[in-house]
Formats: sequence, C-alpha cells, structure tokens
Amino acid sequence: MILQIALLAGLVIFSALAVLARDLLKAAISLAVASLLLGILFFIMNAPYVGAFEISVVAGLITVLFMTTIALTKTEGNVRESKAARVAFPLFFIVFLIIDILVMKGLVGKIPAAASTPDQGTFGEALWKMRTFDLVGQIAVIFAGVFAVLALFRKRSKDE
Amino acid sequence: MSNTWLLYMFFAAALLFIGIYCLLVMRNLIKLFIGIEVISKAVSLALIGTGFAKKNILIAQALTVTFIVVEVSMVATALALIINVFRHTKSLDVRKLAKLKG
Repeated sequence: MILQIALLAGLVIFSALAVLARDLLKAAISLAVASLLLGILFFIMNAPYVGAFEISVVAGLITVLFMTTIALTKTEGNVRESKAARVAFPLFFIVFLIIDILVMKGLVGKIPAAASTPDQGTFGEALWKMRTFDLVGQIAVIFAGVFAVLALFRKRSKDE
Repeated sequence: MSNTWLLYMFFAAALLFIGIYCLLVMRNLIKLFIGIEVISKAVSLALIGTGFAKKNILIAQALTVTFIVVEVSMVATALALIINVFRHTKSLDVRKLAKLKG
C-alpha cells in the first residue's frame, strides 16, 4: 500500500513538473517519467499488458514524438507563459486537494456499481472474444491517424 | 477494497486538475498538449483502478489498451498539426491563432 501511494504521489509530482517546467524538453522528460511510474503501478495492479503498453508506447513512442516536435519548433517557438499561472498553481492545487479529500468519498459511494462477475479466462480471451469490435475500432483509428499525418505533410504540387 | 478504489480515484482527480489547469492557463501549444496527455493518464488510472477494485481487471485492461491506441493516434495527428501551425505563424503561441485572417 505504501509503495502504491509513493508511486501515485510521484506520478502527480512529475505530472505537475511536466506542466510547470519552463524548458519544453524537461517537460517532455517529466511526462515520460510519469508514464513510467504509471506503468509500474499497472504492473502492481495485476495489469501487466497495459503496463507494458504504457511503458513502451506512452513513455517511449509519445516522448520521441514530443521531442521531435520540440526539436522542429525550437528556433523561434519560445512563448512567454504568464508568471502568475506558475505562482498560483500550488495554492489552487492545495485547495483542490482539500476539496478532493472531502468530496471524493461521497462521490465514489454514489457511483452505481453494476453487479460485477469476477473475471474468468485470460486477457487474450477477454480482448478477442468480449471486445472484438474494439479491435476493429482500433484498426480504424490507427488508419485515421496515419492518413491524417500523411494529409498534413502532403507536399504541394507545382501547379498550386 | 473500497479504500483502494478511493485512493486511485483521488489521485486520478488530482491528475485531472493538473491537466485542466494547464489547458486553462498555458499559452504554448506543446504545453497545452502535455496537459491533454496528463488528463489521459488520469483516465487510464481511473479505468484500471476501477477494474482492480471491482475485480474486473481483464475488461479494464482491454478498454485501456483501446484507449492507449486512440491516444497515440491523437498525439501523432495533433503534433503534426502543431508543426504545421508553427510553419505558418512562426510561433507556438496559441493567442496568435486567434488573430489569423483568411
């Protein structure tokens, strides 16, 4: 339990660092570390497949994409953020945490929980037999992403 | 078991707050997108935490894998859009996008 709380606290701290860091590269690396902690947490919560996905795809691939974008836009892309936003963040965050502590217990109690039957079988069976249509959706989403990127980087023909 | 669920939902809400705060106050397009990423972490934590607490971890895993695939595809498209915006406006400031004409 203590390990889980430590991992969750680390996740929140690194996410806050990713949001508040001035340097974009440091922000991207903080985000990767947060993903790594979340992946370890998933392993602890008996969800190894999602943990592997989180570490390889979110901590790996998305960080690489972020770094490529930062490198491509670095020269003149610096934007001045408002200082008040950084200064006010801890205050707002602490206020939110207090509200969170007070309210969350009541909220969680009010969520209508369907009568859940404990899982049977393996992850593969759950994914392939029960969520087959999700896989079709995933393939569609991947194709949509690929075509969107292709369309955005399309070179103009000489006539235009 | 309810206490574990409470713990995960508490931290998921904290992550959600960080992401929404980032979306509200930051001006850099990449920073805004980092905010969206933080929100998506909150969502996957809430999904897996609920599955773990309710002993339905397999379905929760299947849903989260789908969510991660959608997230990656969204990231690729959005970062390509950000690069194109930078080429047009020579800046990553989101306020300049509001001033574009034509």
